[in-house]
Amino acid sequence: MILPIGPIHPYLKEPLRLKLQTEGEKVVKAEIDYGYVHRGIEKIMEGKNWQKGIYLSERICGICSYEHTQTFAEVIELISGVTAPMRAQYLRVITNELDRIQSHLLANSTFFKSMDHETLFMNTLALREYAMEALELLTGNRVNLGWNVVGGVRMDAEKKHFDAILRKLDKIEEGFYRHKALFEEAPVVGLRCKGVGIMTHEEAVKGHAVGPIGRASGIKHDCRQDHPTYRDEFEFKPIWRKEGDNYARTMNRLNEVPQSIYLIRQAIANIPDGPVRVPVEVGSGFGEWRNEAPRGEVTYMMETNGNLIKHISIRTPSIMNIDTCARYMLNGVATVSDALTTYASCDPCIACTERVSITDAATGRREIKDFYEVI
Amino acid sequence: MFNSLKDIVRKSSIHVCLVNCGGCNGCDIEVVALLSPKYDLEQYGIYFHNNPREADVILVTGPVTDQWVDNLRRIYAKAPEPKIVVTLGACPQTGGVFGQEGGRVNAPVSDFIPVDAAVPGCPPRPDEILAAVLAVVPGAIAAKGRAQDKGED
Ligand code: SF4
Repeated sequence: MILPIGPIHPYLKEPLRLKLQTEGEKVVKAEIDYGYVHRGIEKIMEGKNWQKGIYLSERICGICSYEHTQTFAEVIELISGVTAPMRAQYLRVITNELDRIQSHLLANSTFFKSMDHETLFMNTLALREYAMEALELLTGNRVNLGWNVVGGVRMDAEKKHFDAILRKLDKIEEGFYRHKALFEEAPVVGLRCKGVGIMTHEEAVKGHAVGPIGRASGIKHDCRQDHPTYRDEFEFKPIWRKEGDNYARTMNRLNEVPQSIYLIRQAIANIPDGPVRVPVEVGSGFGEWRNEAPRGEVTYMMETNGNLIKHISIRTPSIMNIDTCARYMLNGVATVSDALTTYASCDPCIACTERVSITDAATGRREIKDFYEVI
Repeated sequence: MFNSLKDIVRKSSIHVCLVNCGGCNGCDIEVVALLSPKYDLEQYGIYFHNNPREADVILVTGPVTDQWVDNLRRIYAKAPEPKIVVTLGACPQTGGVFGQEGGRVNAPVSDFIPVDAAVPGCPPRPDEILAAVLAVVPGAIAAKGRAQDKGED
């Protein structure tokens, strides 16, 4: 039997259609229908200057909006042969890690909701609000921050802002370990997610899994290791696990939260004085830059012609992660409700996946009859 | 008697369905943030369950991508009367940043389904969304419900 789920479904924040081929309750094959969020962002960006492009890159995805603007700015800085001032780089690290905290907590709360653990869901969302408040304090916005510009960041922060951010971090930490223990030690929770949706190391390599999803299957790679600011100025080591199941993916994301808190504390302790922005004469040429977004590696390849973007190509992490989810994790999952938690555990972000449409409109149309049948 | 009772009940049990028709999901996660204890949507009598078949209010975000053109109408038809549509963000009103040359979007949403209220912003803050839903929806549902009852009599 083919069981379609979505595109509107209580656990899916974003539209996407899962087609599960089932034998009884067991899932034997999973297929994913993309294409509900295709907007053509790269096409709009062509022929525009960076001031217009950076807004669009921010709105590729609302959850990891920050990392997109940083990568966009850094690729143009690379082409033009400038580096942002040190203070701006530190501020970028602070914002980046705050964004990672809120994104990981949101992803985990979605996972907890999908396994109907209401307490953890509410508590992680409550903790996330502290990170959102810190972001708002620093940048003035909650979601689309508008914080990066080519050559630095938009404005400076003072000591009182940093102190307030540190206080918020303390609050996150206070609640965090209690809730983590709630997840880690509860036997029933373990039953629901240990050994479910396993992806082995070979499968993760074959399917190009990135970010916490890949790291939970033993891929010891984090783009922050190679980023000049993190490499030279910060103490940082990627966190990874071996199991590759839902539990490992969730724990990996949970463990990266204290790591980000530690990075922010380092940054605030050592931040140098100086300007936060330098003027940039945008050069012509081709550049490529990778960064670690909350969900994994995001790559920007850009060709500029003077001030204008000639061609741009963006690869976001979710496309690989969702693909590995459908191909390896969902295969052989014992029940349909486990299939949903498995899907939630791979932290899907549809908005960023669908700049390139990989839609088969014909099949989409044909099945439209039973679209909302399984809500 | 029955109708006035219905009005009171409708005011304090609003069922919401969120439809993301192609935005950047910034607006959607602000709606999810509303579920958190800080805002706690359910204290205001709003229940978020994402099933168009039981929804009183359809929250629409996003600039209507090509795939959503038909589906949006279909979802609207599935919701039972009386129903209210509230759009969130700049996208459903004008296409927002995507409503430029080259963008594959079909905004505004009001071309496809009747819209009762719009909350601008990119994205609007959670408290603004909450305030808008609370300001518009109870009255509008009651009014539509009464008009519908009259029509049936
Ligand atoms: S209005 Fe802005 S935040 Fe909302 S979906 Fe559109 S681009 Fe994203």
